[in-house]
Amino acid sequence: MTSLDLLLILSGLTTLAGFAFGNHRAYPWLAGIVLTAQIVILASMPLPMAAGFGFEMFGHPVGWQMDGFGRFFALITLGAALASVAYTGGEWGERYAAGGKNLRWLHGALAGNVLAMLLLLASGDLIAFFIGWELTSWAGFLLMAQGGERALRAAMRYVPYAMAGAMAVLGGLVLSLTWTGTLDLSQLVMLVPGLANWKLALLLALFGTGFAIKMGLLPVHLWQTPAYAEAPGAATAFLGAISSRMGLFGFGLLLVKLITLTRLADLSFIDGLFSARDLIEWVAALTIVLPTFTALKQNDARYLLAWHGIGQSGYMLLGLVIGDATGSAGGLLHVFNHATYQAALVLSVFAVMHRTGTADLNSMGGLVTRMPLTFLVMLLGIIGLAGLPPMNGFVSKWLIYRSLMIEGRPLLFLMTVLGTLGTILSVYKLIHNTFLGQLRAEHEQIREAPWSMLVPMLALVALAFVTGVAPGLALNYVNEAQAALGLPVMAHTLGGVESPRGSLDMLWIVGVLFAGFGIGALLFYGAGGRSKRIHQLDNYAGGHFLSADVRYQYSDHFYAGLMHRIGPLYRGSFTQMEAALASANDLLASLMQAWYRQAVPALTLLIATVLGLAWMIWR
Amino acid sequence: MNMIELLTELAVMPLIAFTIGLFMVLMMRKIAAKIQRRVGPPLLQPLYDIVKLYAKKTQNSHGLVHDIGIIMAVGGYIAAETMLPVPGMNGIAAKSGLLALAYVIMIPSLGLALGVGQCANPNGSIGIARALTAMLAYDVPFVIIIFGASWFYGSNNLIDIVAHQQAGGIATWGAAKMPVLAIAALFSMYAMLGKQPFEIYVAPAEIATGPMVEMGGKYLGGLFVMQCFQLFTASAIYVTMFLGGGENWPFFLVKLFAIIAIPMSMAFVFPRYRTEDVLAVVWRWPVLLGLAGVWLVMH
Repeated sequence: MTSLDLLLILSGLTTLAGFAFGNHRAYPWLAGIVLTAQIVILASMPLPMAAGFGFEMFGHPVGWQMDGFGRFFALITLGAALASVAYTGGEWGERYAAGGKNLRWLHGALAGNVLAMLLLLASGDLIAFFIGWELTSWAGFLLMAQGGERALRAAMRYVPYAMAGAMAVLGGLVLSLTWTGTLDLSQLVMLVPGLANWKLALLLALFGTGFAIKMGLLPVHLWQTPAYAEAPGAATAFLGAISSRMGLFGFGLLLVKLITLTRLADLSFIDGLFSARDLIEWVAALTIVLPTFTALKQNDARYLLAWHGIGQSGYMLLGLVIGDATGSAGGLLHVFNHATYQAALVLSVFAVMHRTGTADLNSMGGLVTRMPLTFLVMLLGIIGLAGLPPMNGFVSKWLIYRSLMIEGRPLLFLMTVLGTLGTILSVYKLIHNTFLGQLRAEHEQIREAPWSMLVPMLALVALAFVTGVAPGLALNYVNEAQAALGLPVMAHTLGGVESPRGSLDMLWIVGVLFAGFGIGALLFYGAGGRSKRIHQLDNYAGGHFLSADVRYQYSDHFYAGLMHRIGPLYRGSFTQMEAALASANDLLASLMQAWYRQAVPALTLLIATVLGLAWMIWR
Repeated sequence: MNMIELLTELAVMPLIAFTIGLFMVLMMRKIAAKIQRRVGPPLLQPLYDIVKLYAKKTQNSHGLVHDIGIIMAVGGYIAAETMLPVPGMNGIAAKSGLLALAYVIMIPSLGLALGVGQCANPNGSIGIARALTAMLAYDVPFVIIIFGASWFYGSNNLIDIVAHQQAGGIATWGAAKMPVLAIAALFSMYAMLGKQPFEIYVAPAEIATGPMVEMGGKYLGGLFVMQCFQLFTASAIYVTMFLGGGENWPFFLVKLFAIIAIPMSMAFVFPRYRTEDVLAVVWRWPVLLGLAGVWLVMH
């Protein structure tokens, strides 16, 4: 038995245990221990590591093998699952169960997701890949559907997307087999780049559609926000941290390994002016900007974060497709970084919901005095999401900006920065309307979130901080992933990058930053008079008087001036496009139904039978 | 360079920046006074103001985040100053670079936004929403300019950028080589300074000075210190990117003050833009100039 077998067996057992006794008090502890053991096994596994089992399907061997690229994603998956399970372990899980919901299903689905993703990430051929892909989609659906009626509706909306994606991937698989005669990834890597341009374009379109749907790339992103936001807290954190990155994993295999970036640049549309590579870069860039500015308009904290999740995935794909050592390292590192702070942010929002019962940004405020540690988590989380020092989100974005600078891509660079600036505005609204501003009378008695929820949240932001100060820790795994994909490997130091044309040493930057804060604190507390704490309503409102019954917190029109300028640009075009596609589909379906069930049922049956017989004889 | 020298530089650079910033505030007020036919404040007035604010007896706090906001606002700039090379001192410029500096100087704004947020004053919150919108406006051309300059110098390292410009005198200055970008940068820096006509976020008669509404005593004093740093930082970044950096202190000072004097001479004759108009004007002219400048640099 190899260590990959052990990993998968442990994951399978956790899934069974989750479905069998996930509602037991001891389950989260057990699952936590097993997940930690899995992380240790995975991290210490020599690569590449093949599984000891496998089977044949239609004469093609189906097997699993973990490489550096898969391990990078798998480690994040296990880490995210660990945080989610720990969060569920205490008061949150008890209240969830007390609310009439089934913890066994939640835990089973969560562990099932991990198993499905591990199977996908370790796939050694396209059949294993497709098995993992389908399992991931359905396990994801199961997890999304746990949150009640609205969640189920959102999950149902995901189903047609997932089906379309699966069909597209299956189509790609069949074409690959037809054109190369193999499904084995190690052989496909050698054969696919040699295919004709139109074949590559078709493969790109088919596989790409499937992966884009999973990842939530524009324009097939609409399913993701409600499906992720409405799921129960721990599930939302897990989904937001890693689930849709499976699409990115697919893109990594497809674009970098199979088609290769050089061949991708050959696939040009308008006489060499605009290649498939440009197209993907621009789709990624638009995925950064548009969802970020949609997030800015949200009034529900969960939706706001889910929209940012879509936006941030654009950075990852863009970095990967730029494909130089710096850019691809940035894109891959961003997968890890985003998982850490996004999970923390989602969990902090659910901690606030646990206490206040709402995630509506119009009905909170001032909670920092009641939930200071949760505030700290959200503060560090938003600094990471916005990509500012000292958190890890800054490092991965810096790498992407830098590579766009080196490669000379001013417009893409502008898009990435525009996304960052929009994120800063949006996350300030999030933290302002949750924790700052006026504390509402009904929230006077709120207490801090319980430790069972705080510990995983604090651990996640601590990880995001440590890998921000010492990005070299995470970059080791990124290098492995780059090498496994055949990308140039970025040399790094513990503090970042050393280059004569522009280094980044986070150890020093964070060092002087905290020294600066220290001096600022000395000046503030040492040099000035003693300050006196005053009541929140004791303030100057230009002749008006603020009182507890005056509505203060607002979110709809937080950035009024900005919305006067860009407001008319929000047209809901993608929603309209989705509705148009759905109704076109309905129309087509009813036309066909009218034809074969009502107009000429006997003739349809006859034609089908004759064709079926003919196929069997001809075969 | 040994560690003691480096640590000395790290301690001295923010002090110098602050001192220069104080005199920039003085110059700004003198210019305003000249335009309005007043005498203006005496030499040490900015310093007196800070001492007065810190020493005040009434110091109202709205809570820990209010305090931390001020600490971040001052501390973030103290850190930023060590990343900006000045004559004879490079600090940690080689370890951070232009791009990281651009993001480090957003930390004070974030700190201020947090501090103002906790004050629970609607005027403050409106002011911050406007200030962040203004940041979204001026940072768009600013990063285009950073891109153009980085591309032109082939480096993100400020020490390289300065050395490149000083190699051949004024002819190799960024402003001579990239005049369009230099103009765009001046425009965007003007908006960054938040003076008229870009001071809608303060709007005293409408939202009672916005972010400053709950700030008194050392809180306002902290913001005053922040303003000194901000003036120096904006000017020093410009001089470093376009005016050859600092060959020696006298020249460096002349350039720094001259650059700040340009927007200040214009500011006090302007009325004020509404927030949406700030976006319109900043996203039109400096962005177009910036993109044109980048195109020129790259072709």
